[in-house]
Amino acid sequence: MFLAPALIIAVLFHLWPFINTLVLSFTDARALGGGSFVGLENYGRLLEDPNFWLATRNTVLYMVVVVPLLVVLPLLLAVLVQPKLPAIGFFRSVYYSPVVASMVVVGLIWTWLLASDGMVNQLLQALRIVQEPLPFLTDASLLLFCCMLVTVWKGLGYYMVVYLAALGNVSKDCHEAAQVDGAGPVRRFWSVTVPGVRPTMFLVGLLGAIAAMKVFAEVFVMSYGTAGPGGQARTLVYTIREVGLGLGGEVGYASAMSLALFVLTIGFSVGYLRAQKAETP
Amino acid sequence: MTTRSWRSGLALLAVTTLTLTACGLDSGESDDTAEPAESAAAEEITGKITFSTLQLKPTFTEYIDGVIDDFEAEYPGTEVEWIDIPFQGAQEKIATDASAGTLPDVINLNPNFAQPLESEGLFVDLDTAVPELREDYVAGAWDAFQVPSQEGSFGFPWYLTSEVTMYNTDEFEAAGLDPETPPATFDELYASATTISESSDGEVYGMHPALENRFMLDLAKEGVPVLADDGTTWTFNTPEAVEHVEKLAELYQDGVFPPDSLTEDHAKETEAYQAGQVALFPSGPNFLTIIEENAPEIAEATGVGPQITGASDAANMSVMGLMVPTSSENQATALKFAEFMTNAENQLAFSKIVTIFPSVKDALADPYFTDDSDGTVESKARRVSAEQLDGAQNLLPVQYDDRVKAIVVGKVQLAMTGDLSAQEALDQAVEEANAVSGN
Repeated sequence: MFLAPALIIAVLFHLWPFINTLVLSFTDARALGGGSFVGLENYGRLLEDPNFWLATRNTVLYMVVVVPLLVVLPLLLAVLVQPKLPAIGFFRSVYYSPVVASMVVVGLIWTWLLASDGMVNQLLQALRIVQEPLPFLTDASLLLFCCMLVTVWKGLGYYMVVYLAALGNVSKDCHEAAQVDGAGPVRRFWSVTVPGVRPTMFLVGLLGAIAAMKVFAEVFVMSYGTAGPGGQARTLVYTIREVGLGLGGEVGYASAMSLALFVLTIGFSVGYLRAQKAETP
Repeated sequence: MTTRSWRSGLALLAVTTLTLTACGLDSGESDDTAEPAESAAAEEITGKITFSTLQLKPTFTEYIDGVIDDFEAEYPGTEVEWIDIPFQGAQEKIATDASAGTLPDVINLNPNFAQPLESEGLFVDLDTAVPELREDYVAGAWDAFQVPSQEGSFGFPWYLTSEVTMYNTDEFEAAGLDPETPPATFDELYASATTISESSDGEVYGMHPALENRFMLDLAKEGVPVLADDGTTWTFNTPEAVEHVEKLAELYQDGVFPPDSLTEDHAKETEAYQAGQVALFPSGPNFLTIIEENAPEIAEATGVGPQITGASDAANMSVMGLMVPTSSENQATALKFAEFMTNAENQLAFSKIVTIFPSVKDALADPYFTDDSDGTVESKARRVSAEQLDGAQNLLPVQYDDRVKAIVVGKVQLAMTGDLSAQEALDQAVEEANAVSGN
């Protein structure tokens, strides 16, 4: 009885749309009309669609770059702001503030910073590191890299809080014992802190990977909806939106793409959890 | 598999499902049979109708409410419920409404939004329903709601705009160009832009390409047959189009366009002109008001010339229309309301609030659009734009939807960066656009 509200919401807004997407992926449904069963045609089309493979490559690359950074950097940040020093709350709030900012606003701010006449390029030129402005927003590879940095920058605060909670559970006795044995701060970090927060690191890695696979807003906002020249910085969710939305949207094909993303994500998650299990003594 | 493994597997499935269901899309199946409502034949103007517009609230709330009040007073027993849809996401809402058979009785769309719905036979054919009204409207505007290889016209033309060439006279003078003689052709436009860029030594760019807004339109102006006559096959990879793309690539690489303009849109072009970063700004005269509000100094220096035309010598106009779905249960009242909203008196009043143009010939003949004796740039822009409307057409093919646009613009971007030749870019764009359009 108490479970009913949560169960109803989960079924209506999560399970049912998922089943609907699964069914639609075997049809030629469009935004207007269609809907006939076409078997595996949409999946066959995926295999021959260069945009799908480009999006898959970019999405996997995104995950490969972003996840290690999101696992390590927030941990270092958490260690930095963990001590109860005067005004440390201020710094914690500052680091957390990007998390509560809208992704669109964050994207726009970074777009201004990274424009050819933006602050970053002006700084690089003033320091004579580059002669000409770098095409951060008009070179597909640089654009994708900049989007990754924005994702990491925005996610730092969130995972920092997760790590702060985990750090609170690391035994002080172990730290003191290590200190007595002559271990310095770096040694204690590797030998006491990291093992103590290892399960949290796995959790952060999994959440970060799933978030990276769903990346959309960064790429969309920072490229003015184009995913860079020729759409070459496209990600899977960007491509799903492009294919499925609008009055000419191919809903069936976009659903097949969504299912491919689902399989990719769950495949990675299973592998990741198995790796964690193997690591756990 | 052990029970624990099953549990872990199910939990993982649930978590991943929760995180990914946002990517799922609702059914696109349509059960709308598009049957004309029985009341279509009824002539009685009464009852309640719904009327949807595209992003007119809150700026024009007073005007629209006033017209609705006048209609309800003139036709006692009628009631109009007004719904305003933000432009962003409008297509998705309309598609959902169309699939569910719940389109409003009168719906405000542009020709590109309307075309997929018209092709499905979802709107009343006005050539059949109200043939006597055709002559009242500007011909090109009425024809904008036709579908290639399909009989009929499906929308009451509402407000129009027709691009003019705005330019910064200070930058013209500084570059040694005549500020009283704006460019009139593409060759003159690009030559002026190049002169300004070169003379300012990189401080000011000649112009912004705004590819998503202008590329296909410019090809049509250049006389490129962008679509085959049957309206189903894209054919814009002609030698003239290749030449046009090569010119764009040359201008981009020579620094006549801003470096970031490659992926930027019309909104960024407007910002760049207001900031004094670009000197030429071909756009609708309605943007003059925005420039005046945001950058009075730039507005002060702005001159206005006629729309840039190419080999076809045709001028373009943008059209907004009002459609009546065949699923409307009160078609008679809906048709009468759409006619009322677009009549000369109401359109003239609307045009005096914002720089748009009426689609009814009588209203367009008003001195408000022909007299620029006050010497202001606004009245000149109004006169120039209104003069163009007589022979103007909606040159942008109605089949040029967001997906085709993304393909075309993407390939042109690659040609501009030198990653593809102009011919390769256009050949690939035609092939992919035809695949997306189902050809």
